[in-house]
Order: sequence, then C-alpha cells, then structure tokens
Amino acid sequence: MFTPRTVLVLITLLPAHPFAPSLKAEEPARLTTDGSFKQNLQWSPDGKTLLFTRIHEGKMSLWTMPAEGGAMKRLLPDHKEPHFDGHYSKDGKRIVYVYDQLQGTDGKLRINVCNADGTDDGTLVPHKAFEESPRFAPDGKRVLWVSTRDGNPDLYTVGTDGKDIKRLTNDPAYDLHPAFSPDGTQIAFASGRSGRQKVHLMTADGSKVTKLTDGEFLDAWPTWNPDGKRLAFVSNRSGNYDIWLMTSAGKELVNVTAHKAQDTSPAWHPQGKKLAFVSTRGGGSDVYVIEVK
Amino acid sequence: MLLVGNRTTRTCAGPHRRAFLQVGASSVLGLSLADLLRVRANGASGAKAKAVILLWLWGGPSQLDTFDPKPGAALDFRGPFGTIPTRVPGVRFGELFPELAKHTDKLAVIRSLRTLSNDHGIAGTIGLTGSAAGGTGLDGKPLQGSARPALGSVVAKATQTTPQRKQGQSGIHPFWVIGGKLHQGKKAIIGEGGGPLGAAWDPFRLEYDPATGTKIPALQLPKELTPERMADRQKLLGALANADRRASELGAAGALSEYRGRALAMLTSTTAAAGFDLSKETDATKDTYGRTRFGQSCLLARRLVEAGVPFVQVNWSDHVEAEEDSGDGGWDHHYRNFQIMQDRHAPWLDQSMSALLSDLHDRKMLDSTLVLAVGEFGRSPKINDKAGREHHPDCYCALVAGGGVKGGRFVGTSDKVAAKPADTPLTPADLNATVQHAIGLTSEQITGLGLTPAGRVIEELF
Repeated sequence: MFTPRTVLVLITLLPAHPFAPSLKAEEPARLTTDGSFKQNLQWSPDGKTLLFTRIHEGKMSLWTMPAEGGAMKRLLPDHKEPHFDGHYSKDGKRIVYVYDQLQGTDGKLRINVCNADGTDDGTLVPHKAFEESPRFAPDGKRVLWVSTRDGNPDLYTVGTDGKDIKRLTNDPAYDLHPAFSPDGTQIAFASGRSGRQKVHLMTADGSKVTKLTDGEFLDAWPTWNPDGKRLAFVSNRSGNYDIWLMTSAGKELVNVTAHKAQDTSPAWHPQGKKLAFVSTRGGGSDVYVIEVK
Repeated sequence: MLLVGNRTTRTCAGPHRRAFLQVGASSVLGLSLADLLRVRANGASGAKAKAVILLWLWGGPSQLDTFDPKPGAALDFRGPFGTIPTRVPGVRFGELFPELAKHTDKLAVIRSLRTLSNDHGIAGTIGLTGSAAGGTGLDGKPLQGSARPALGSVVAKATQTTPQRKQGQSGIHPFWVIGGKLHQGKKAIIGEGGGPLGAAWDPFRLEYDPATGTKIPALQLPKELTPERMADRQKLLGALANADRRASELGAAGALSEYRGRALAMLTSTTAAAGFDLSKETDATKDTYGRTRFGQSCLLARRLVEAGVPFVQVNWSDHVEAEEDSGDGGWDHHYRNFQIMQDRHAPWLDQSMSALLSDLHDRKMLDSTLVLAVGEFGRSPKINDKAGREHHPDCYCALVAGGGVKGGRFVGTSDKVAAKPADTPLTPADLNATVQHAIGLTSEQITGLGLTPAGRVIEELF
C-alpha cells in the first residue's frame, strides 16, 4: 500500500525540454501559514534551522525558524532598515547578508556579516554600488557576491577580512544569483549573456564559463545539491515559476514542483534528500518542504 | 472655434488639421469635441462604463520591463528580461507578465504617454487630476494655481446629483481609495481629493493589511473590530459609541467632521458594509487574486463596484520607495529594479490584475467597468550603475480594459528605446478625459461642476 508519506519522488531523468513531464514527490509539507512575502531560503548546515528573508509589517528582514516549522524569529531585531538574503558559512557559525541603508528614495546596499545568533554584526563590504547575493565559499575563507561597482552586475569575491576583492566575471550582461559548488571548485550563476537569463557554470576563478540551460525562458537562482551532482533552480519554462532539477552538466531536467502557483527560492537540506522552497500555492507566500530522491 | 481644454498647450505637436476640422464641425452642431468623439466611439448606445477601477502604480513602473519591452535595444537599455508573445500577433510583453499577456484580448495598451514632471509629487498630481496646478514637489513649493479635483472626485460628483441622494439609495460613498494616502517621502501629495469640488467628494479610504485585514483609517476602529465583522451591528455601534465617548473626553467631539459623520453612516449601512466584507469571498477567490496587499485590494475594489461605487482607486503603496514601512513597496526602483521586478512587483501585478479582469469578465461586469492601470511616469531607458532605472516622464505605458474599451488595441508607439513617443503622444489629461468619456460624462457636465474640460478622448481605444 502506498501512502503519501511512503511515496518518494521517482525522478526519471528526462531530456531537457520545456514540456518535460513533471514527476512530483508526495505533497510538500507546509511549514508556515502567515502568507507574508518570503524568499532566499537556506537551511543551516546542521539542518535544524531555516533562514529566510521575510517582509513582515512592511519591514524586509532576516528571520529564522525551526526546520520542522514553528515560531519565526527575527535574526537582527535591532536593525530598522531592510536587510535580506542571508547565507550560512559551512560551519554554521556566521551569516553574510545584504543591508540596505535607506537614503530618500534611494538605498545604499552593503554586505554585512554576523554570528548565526545575530551577534557580532558588522560590515564586510561597504557600499560602493549595488551589492547583493553574498555567499560564503565552502572553505569559509572568501565571500562571493554580485556588485555593479564596475558598471553592471558582475561576480566578485572578497576575503572574510573584507580585503582582497577579486572580480570573477566581466560581461555586459547581468551575472546574478551565484552559488559555490559544495567542493568550492565551481560556481553556478544566472546570466543574461546569451540574451535570456540562463544558468551558467564556471570555475571558481571565473574561467571556463559554460551555459547549462537553454530556451526562451527565465532560469534563475541555481543551488547545488550537497553531493555536487545536481542543481535545483527556478524557471518559468512551464509557464510560471517552478523548481527544476538538472545535473551539473545541464542535462536531465525535471520539474519538481509542477504547480500553477509561483514556486521559488529552492534550498537543499544538508543531506540532500529534501528541498525547501517558497510557494504561493496556499494563497500567500509560504515555506514548503518536499522530499526528493 | 471651440477650444477644448488645454489641447493647444499639451503637446509640442499641437492639434492636427483633422482635429481642427472636427472641432469646427462639432461647434457647428453645438457639441464639444469630447461629445462628438463619444458619439463616434459608442454610437447611439452611449457610454458603457458604469464604474471605474484605477490601479495606481505609485512610484513609476518601468515601461521597458513591463508592457513596452525593447528586445532589439542594447543590453544596457533592454535589461535582463526577455519577451513573450501576447494574444495580439506581433506584439510582445515583458516575460514577467505571462498572465496579462493572455488577457490582451480584453486589454488595450497605451505606449506613448508622457507627462510634464519627473518629480513624484508633481507627476502624481498631474496623473490623478490631469493638471500640475497646486502640485508640490520635493522643494515643497506649490505650483501656481489651485489643485484640481482627483479624477475619482470628478466622476463621483458628476455621476451623483448629491452625495445624500446617492447615499440614500445605496448608502455608499461614490469614491473610494483602497490604500494609504500617497506620499513622497514624508509629505502627502496633492490631488487625491475633491479640491474645488469640496471635501464631500474626497475619497472614503480603506486600507488592507495581509496580517490584520481591512482597516478604516477615518474611524480608527478598535483593533478587534474589523470590517469583516461588521455583520454584528450591535458590536459595531457599541464600538463607535465608545470611540465617540473617547473623543468627547478628549474635548474633540465638536471636531468630528462631516466626513467622519458620513463614514459612520456608511458603516451602519448593510449595503456599504457588504462592499468591503472580504469574509464573504471564498478562499479560492482570495487565493486567485493573491494574498498580497495589492491583490486583496483589487478584490475589495470589485466588491465595491458590485455594491454600486462608481470610482475605486487602488493604491499599490502609499509611498514610492520599494523598501519602506507599509504597502507592497512602490515602483520607484532606482536600484535593484530587476530583482524586485522578478521577485515581487511583476508577479504580483500579473496575478492580481489578471484575476481582477477574469473575475469581472466572469461576472459579466467587465463591459460596464473600466479598469485602468498606470503610474505617474515611466523609468529611464538607460540602466544606471545600481541595476536600477531613474525617473522618466517622457514615455510610459498604461493598461486599459473594460467599460467599452476594445481589447487587443495597442495605442501609440515609442521610439527604439522607449525614451519618447514615436507617434500619438498622449498625456494624463487625455487619460482622464477618456475615463470621463467612457463613463458618459459630457463636457457640459464637467463645466457644470465649475471645471474646465481638458485633454482629448483617446478614441482609438473604443
């Protein structure tokens, strides 16, 4: 007898095609019900906590909650200005995030870093331009992020002491949403260098850029399975945003969520058996978890 | 020759010969140009619209990233988004609007709007009233002239003989705004109210918050008493009596305005209360609109129109900035334009406006309800060094549907980078004149309100 709990997703790896059949897991478990806008999900490395951006009562800020669901708590309750898109270091002790200092109708973005409990908060990369999407390298020694300091969004790294900024990409197109591979040797990112926003791959020094996805669709926010063999990403190739999987070679695409609602912000569980994501399938914006095999 | 509004000063091009001929002919017949165009557009049947829903996209959405994409432009103009086909052959939308692209059989798109100011405060006044008079920009100095009434106030007054009469019939005020009062920074902008028509024609305001539901700022009801609970009239009256007692204790009883008095009267009207009672909607309907502030506000707008309100304005936010204290964050994307568009604003507008159009269509209300979505200006074609776009008054878009507007119409074209209209330059005054026309107002009625008709009816929409 198959029950929803025992049926795990059977991912028959299919060729990349916009209308590739989707094979869903059991119904995803819903972790939140408040409906307020959420994005940039991430599991803590010990799998016990989810970190995410939430707009609550008009304030965009970082929140945490137990990974099985429960009370949401602001990470940095003293911050009055918007801050978002947090990312844990591999040891789970530090979090990098974006701080937006408002000035009139403008904002001054910078990259901040704090302890996982919100203490010892400070600036890692001061505002120079648009500074966004910070990600710790797996070895914890550098931080990868997006900046427009040279004109348009490109990828950079900086030491965790805030020194030694290195530019990794230099293309007139937008390079966004970077993600280190678990072994730190590669970086997946979204780029519009082919004319449409697609998932790309390059080595960690910025060389050997290859395009992983094709088609007349928007592909974004790649995130690596902990085994480094697969990527989850967001795509509207099904007509609306869904979470898709593919191999690190850009093959065997499959739609994991396949729902008419907007499914975004995929985050792998540290053991790689579950994906958390944000979906509007319940009307508002809420966190769900789905098992994948 | 009959002079129609500010026609000769509105655009650099001035009136075309054909327009002069029309004006001449119309004066011979004793009709204004607007009346003539109305007759031409609607034939003997007259105006179709009985109500208007204005979706006010405060902050100024980018025309390139929404409904006038330029896929052939250089990357630092066109931005990172692709385009998708609409139901009109050869016409494409930005790829973030797949649902609205499917509704282009019901929608008309104007791609050649321009306004006179790149200051939110002044452009907002122009957008809402059709005139810059009395508008106040960032420098805080009011422009010459008295502020004109909001379009909603004009429609409200012109479609009602007196507010008392209408309220006697349906118990509901004819002009509602859903959303906070519009601000630039900390300063409220001019042009959301009745102006010279009098405070009686100010909008009655509702606010919707996803966490707490519908609020009525004028009454500052106790937290526990939401409009969704208005069915309990005893409880409502008790709460209002308490509020009055508190006002009396504070020595403010005499200061209770006529406006507040009307608000109280309306809230005790079953018809009015039903208009903003979202608890009567199914969860599925609420989900379809999206559980965002804007989405549920669109649903409230539909309910109010059903209840007999002729003009409902939905404010996307009460401030222009994308990251602020309340609302869904404005469209003033000087930085992070593309990320905010992709993550929030585009999916929300796409879902909620599409749901509104479908719902009105399914209820057979779309023919009699004109829906207009527009902001105060557009955004700069050239992308700045913060992945954003600056203010751009010289070219922007509007979506119009229902109320006699023909779907599938694309009015006006912009140049190669959507910097300027390539043809058919149109203004907010033209949009306002078109809305007035759609709802059947004649220039005589406008003049009868003590106002000067302005703008030309965009006859290409009908």
